Amino acid sequence: MTLSQLLSTSFVQHAFYAVTAVALAAGAVGYFVVLRRQAFAAHAIGHVGFAGAAGAVWLGLSPITGLLVFCLGAGLLIGVGGASLDESDAVVGVTLTAALGLGVLFISLYSGYANATYSILFGQILGVTWGDVGLVAALSLGVLLVVSLTYRPLLFVSVDAQSAAARGLSIRTMSLLFMALLAVTTVVAIQIVGVLLVFSLLVAPAAAAQVLTSRPLRAVALAMTIALASAWLGLFLGVWIGGPVSFWITALASSSYLVARLVSGMRVVRRRRVFA
Amino acid sequence: MENGAVVLGGRTIWKSASFRIEPGTITAVLGPNGSGKTTLLNLILGLVSLSDGSLDVLGAPPHRGNRRVGFMAQTRAADTMSGMTGRDYIGLGFDGPRFGWGRDKAKRDVIRRALALTGTTSFADQPLRSLSGGQRQRVALAHATVFKPELLLLDEPLVSLDLAAQAEIVDLINLIRDTTGAAVIVVAHDLNPLASIVDQVLWIARRQVRSGTVDEVVNEAVLSDLYGHPIEIIVTPRGRRVIVGLEEEFAHPHPHPHPKGFVHGDESAHSHLSEVYEEETT
Repeated sequence: MTLSQLLSTSFVQHAFYAVTAVALAAGAVGYFVVLRRQAFAAHAIGHVGFAGAAGAVWLGLSPITGLLVFCLGAGLLIGVGGASLDESDAVVGVTLTAALGLGVLFISLYSGYANATYSILFGQILGVTWGDVGLVAALSLGVLLVVSLTYRPLLFVSVDAQSAAARGLSIRTMSLLFMALLAVTTVVAIQIVGVLLVFSLLVAPAAAAQVLTSRPLRAVALAMTIALASAWLGLFLGVWIGGPVSFWITALASSSYLVARLVSGMRVVRRRRVFA
Repeated sequence: MENGAVVLGGRTIWKSASFRIEPGTITAVLGPNGSGKTTLLNLILGLVSLSDGSLDVLGAPPHRGNRRVGFMAQTRAADTMSGMTGRDYIGLGFDGPRFGWGRDKAKRDVIRRALALTGTTSFADQPLRSLSGGQRQRVALAHATVFKPELLLLDEPLVSLDLAAQAEIVDLINLIRDTTGAAVIVVAHDLNPLASIVDQVLWIARRQVRSGTVDEVVNEAVLSDLYGHPIEIIVTPRGRRVIVGLEEEFAHPHPHPHPKGFVHGDESAHSHLSEVYEEETT
């Protein structure tokens, strides 16, 4: 099969639509993950998702059901227990360990083929069906809609919680809302890159964007752009050259952060020269 | 406030507090760490409720989200975050609590006015992280005053600033009071840098609140009574008063039947009393 034939096959097309939806949602939510320094929470929710998916597979349900239940549950738990950003670390850690333990139990109970586990951990982008695309797109659109409507209060609570509370925003409610957004985004991202590589779309593009610009709205747009570029290019390289798509996406997203650091470092050097 | 008391987590923070704050005046709130200074601000902001007594804020019971009350927090994550300029942060003071897509056309003008008032225009578009401590406090004052509040609450605005920056911020607080006519409440741990602009002092210690002019509160009789320990105020040759706790009291801890409140926060209370206070007598 030639490259153009490969790209027009239905499983690549499904992957293309799914990856587009996921990248946009992950880029936008990722901005707040990096801003609020909650990368650990994002990491934990992904791993909790692993337990959920493993449990669902054991019970003979679709993995995404288990993912949604467990990720949302963990998100709300972390949101309630660690509403003030200071105490969230321990809450996240305990939630993470408890869920991983459950995951180990579910896998040992499930005596079937380990392929299901593998695809949860590392993603299975080229196995996405039309039904999956619809669900992923709907969830991603929902996340983007809520983020756009709550953008200012989320930003306010993240950068100055005390003033935000004084102005009438509830820290706890906002924290819960954000964790729910993060949970849903994680669920859809796991479909593409798997539990272990959720970070590639959630954290790396947003971190790169925040290095490159000091304006919040621009950083959100840039994070979405970098995530989308990594996802599209990663899918293309996976189909063209071979190798797991999730590897390519992760490699590209991480490289974007490296490049961003280099570019901002060069900017600083140039500025120093101008003043020297 | 009339006869106000606050209980948090079963512990009485302070009680029997009565005071009044006039428009256009500056009130310094002083006292040891943990004595309930920030709690006072939280009461006015409607984040904490009185367990006894009554409090009126601008003629109404305190309620959250009151635009007529401006607030500047002591620590703000924005200061050390990447990706936030002064303009962005001040903008959040304007429409940060608002949900939805709408944009308010007045925002630009309001921000421009706040920048001009606080002298922050020239560095408004730089990341907060790259600014000096004094510049960040100016930006935070702009954030707190976007709605020209009638009551402005400042939590430790001078903390960790060098002397020159402290003087600058004190001048700016005075300027904001003069141009907006707001009543200003400043929580501080040191009266010294504020003494020149302060009209009233609220001193909180051992679960009591004393209010009055600087002369009425900062004298040997009132402070000794407030702390339950003898306190000496020395007048320097240049007319400044230096406040010290008497050392022999600390060599014999708990000799008095009333060590409760004092011993509770003993570390801070000791260091607080050992600190040297100066202030103008004129």
